[in-house]
Amino acid sequence: MTYRLLEHTADMGLEAQGSSLEELFSQAAQALREVLFGDVSGQKDQAIHLRVTGQDPGELLVNWLNEILYLFEVRGIYPVSFSIDAIDANSVCGLIHGELFHPERHPVERVVKAATYHQLLVEKRQGVWRARVYLDL
Amino acid sequence: MGVTIEKIDDCRWRIPQQGKMRSEGLVFASEAMIRLLQKEQALEQVRNVATLPGIVGPSIAMPDIHWGYGFPIGGVAAFDADEGIVSPGGVGYDINCGVRLLRCALRVEDLRPQLQELLDLLYRNVPAGVGSMRKDLKLTPQQERQVLEQGARWAVRQGYGSEEDLRHTEAGGTIPGADPGLISERALERGRTQLGTLGSGNHFLEVQQVETIGDEAAAAALGLFPGQITVSIHTGSRGFGYQVCDDFLQIMQRASQKYGIELPDRQLCCAPLRSPEGEQYLAAMACAANYAFANRQLITSWVRDSFGQALGLSPQELRLSLIYDVCHNIAKMETHTVDGRERRLCVHRKGATRAFPPGHPETPELYRQVGQPVLIPGDMGRCSYVLVGTPGAFAETYGSTCHGAGRLLSRHAAKKLARGRNIEVELARQGILVRAASRGTVAEELPEAYKDVSEVVGIVQRAGIGKIVARLKPLAVVKG
Repeated sequence: MTYRLLEHTADMGLEAQGSSLEELFSQAAQALREVLFGDVSGQKDQAIHLRVTGQDPGELLVNWLNEILYLFEVRGIYPVSFSIDAIDANSVCGLIHGELFHPERHPVERVVKAATYHQLLVEKRQGVWRARVYLDL
Repeated sequence: MGVTIEKIDDCRWRIPQQGKMRSEGLVFASEAMIRLLQKEQALEQVRNVATLPGIVGPSIAMPDIHWGYGFPIGGVAAFDADEGIVSPGGVGYDINCGVRLLRCALRVEDLRPQLQELLDLLYRNVPAGVGSMRKDLKLTPQQERQVLEQGARWAVRQGYGSEEDLRHTEAGGTIPGADPGLISERALERGRTQLGTLGSGNHFLEVQQVETIGDEAAAAALGLFPGQITVSIHTGSRGFGYQVCDDFLQIMQRASQKYGIELPDRQLCCAPLRSPEGEQYLAAMACAANYAFANRQLITSWVRDSFGQALGLSPQELRLSLIYDVCHNIAKMETHTVDGRERRLCVHRKGATRAFPPGHPETPELYRQVGQPVLIPGDMGRCSYVLVGTPGAFAETYGSTCHGAGRLLSRHAAKKLARGRNIEVELARQGILVRAASRGTVAEELPEAYKDVSEVVGIVQRAGIGKIVARLKPLAVVKG
């Protein structure tokens, strides 16, 4: 596990790292998943393709996480794992593997309104990609 | 970098103008609260807001201030209509999150035998938690557009309430200037299924009793008496508002660059009020604010239905009437006197409540002698307060006061404290019934997670930016 959840008085944050942008985005998505559902797993009978853009890697990460929130909240996609097909500084194409959300099978730990730009960080230092994002709960 | 803070008096602190600040900071807090604030980043956020262009007067923080994202929660900042900016981060994701308070003719002893049944009906009739919705409320795209333009008035036109409800809602339940043409398809999609839902987190629906009266004349004007049953509804614009905020944060990232606005934190991104981006945000924000007014109006109607079903009483017998509905996440164009001169200002209240004084034309006629009602929810174990606005608030804080208790513990710390305990059973022993869609929410929202709201409103009253009218004790709580 190369992410951790950050303390915040009212909300929560996440820090992720990876040897590549692909790994970084996948880990950040897993961290978001843990905030939403804890460490409970699920089936992977659905695969949703998504493509997200942003004007820089920070905005791209915020948009990527908000896309996952949207798919859960509006389309009822309960995410289990994430894979990245292609990524650069301004766009990411990936897959969400999961199943359709069922409130009784998938207890929600907490609801996230959005990933924010507060103290947003995406950087590569000493060959390692690092990200920090705060979530509005 | 640490923040310099100087004590002014027992409830006021100044952050002197330094570095890139364009004005000073003014924090309402006790000494103990300031010590807690210095452990988090809320004071830095007060300072950061003071760097934004066109700020008029200080960057203000209420005693329920805590670390937010960009702006602090409990923050108030006013910007000049010509030279200033508007920032979606200064309103927040939950645009027009707010509280409304209903009073009824019943006393606590009339309700006690049916309290559990009433709570079960409220939980059934008012959707709470993820994915929950009323099956009998399906909006067409055209109806959704009407909601965005008309707010609570739309709900009243559909039969969910009365004209009197609108008279007792901030801005009459409709913020003018809403333009649905600026709303993204995604926001519309999120909005269609979530109207008339409570949501989750700190949102709630609470049946209460009036425990004590702090000001007899104001209580009489608001129709409150000891032992009386009241109902509080705390919710906002749901996923619709979150999406509007997110859409405009992206637009404002680019606008900040375009207009050369230097930002200490990206979440403070903004645009001049006199720019297409600024004007468009205010018109889109008005849509979300109206959505929230309609949301609380619909829930009010279902609360009235639930009381009728549980007690077998008619609306005339119950007299469940709206005392007031106030926003605590909004930016509004208002006129205020600054240094003896009237100025048009865009007042951002993020986790702060409007608190207009007696005699103000926007204070409803019924309350014109006592001031605009201000509703301050506490936590689900202790109490909530009803206040009224004061001339002091109008003079010092652009007619604003606190909005709640303010969180004390992080979610993780709250959950740790709740481990091994059954919070619902503990509250039941105190005579407070709880129904929640998620046990996790109850743990994270346990009473100890919040500051004591009595201390918060105590500071507000001592500072003269609000006057306590009544304290309300929770009896039954619905959480998402």
